[in-house]
Amino acid sequence: MPTMTAMPDVLEHVEQAQAHELDQPYNLIVWNDPVNLMSYVSYVFQSYFGYSESKAEKLMMQVHEDGRSTVATGSREKIESDVSAMHGFGLWATLAKADAA
Amino acid sequence: MARAFRSTRRGYSASFEAAERQLLRGLFQDVITLLEPERAEDEDPLWAMVGLDPNAHKAGFAAPTDGATRRLLPDADPDDAEASLEFRRLSERGIRESKIGALREAALVLEAGNVLLSDEAAPRFAAALNDVRLVLAERLGLVDEEDAARIHAQDDWSKAESVDEYLALVYNFVTWLQESLMQALLKSL
Repeated sequence: MPTMTAMPDVLEHVEQAQAHELDQPYNLIVWNDPVNLMSYVSYVFQSYFGYSESKAEKLMMQVHEDGRSTVATGSREKIESDVSAMHGFGLWATLAKADAA
Repeated sequence: MARAFRSTRRGYSASFEAAERQLLRGLFQDVITLLEPERAEDEDPLWAMVGLDPNAHKAGFAAPTDGATRRLLPDADPDDAEASLEFRRLSERGIRESKIGALREAALVLEAGNVLLSDEAAPRFAAALNDVRLVLAERLGLVDEEDAARIHAQDDWSKAESVDEYLALVYNFVTWLQESLMQALLKSL
């Protein structure tokens, strides 16, 4: 029964690919925007991520001076939820595979 | 003239004159209008409650084309258009609803001249002010630090002659207000 022998291979391959995609770490990147106040960005980093004042200030200055900063790393699901939250605050945030950043 | 936000024992307090309140409430309403999703007459209210969009999986669902709306709802993955669209299918409606909620609340708060915000309400008010600034910035063509400095330098209401000069002054007023709220909020962390 060739159809029975072919399908498990395909399914297994798809499952592996999906598992690989979910395991892959992602970065949350916040980009510089001349509109967002430095005080606001620092406040969001402290209140949403629970970062210390010094860590939030350092990341905020990185955004301001380098044009972008990797603010968090985690599963795709977690980073997608962070991107939603950042867009809710009005920050310009994107996600990227951790090794590509 | 408005009194900027400061932290008090009862909350974050500021006061406004009637014309300032009218201006701010109009701005909040403008952004709500931009963000309001198109709703079918017979849409099940459950969709709005869970933040999902019944149109998100229909053909023709796309990123917003208006520049200001895109600034409020940017692409999540600039290198992957399909992934960005998928993100919008799952998240955009919810983000729109939460922004609209904060903007409505901010407009309601400004029915009184003396504003007092709780610890929970203050960050939502700050986000509403930030969204107003993002939309004004898009209308003003504010894209880099040079533009920001040029707009910031306009401070004389009696000399505003064009719509852009007037918008720049409005932008600076909202910036001043948000900055005062952020300084008060940062002190409370």
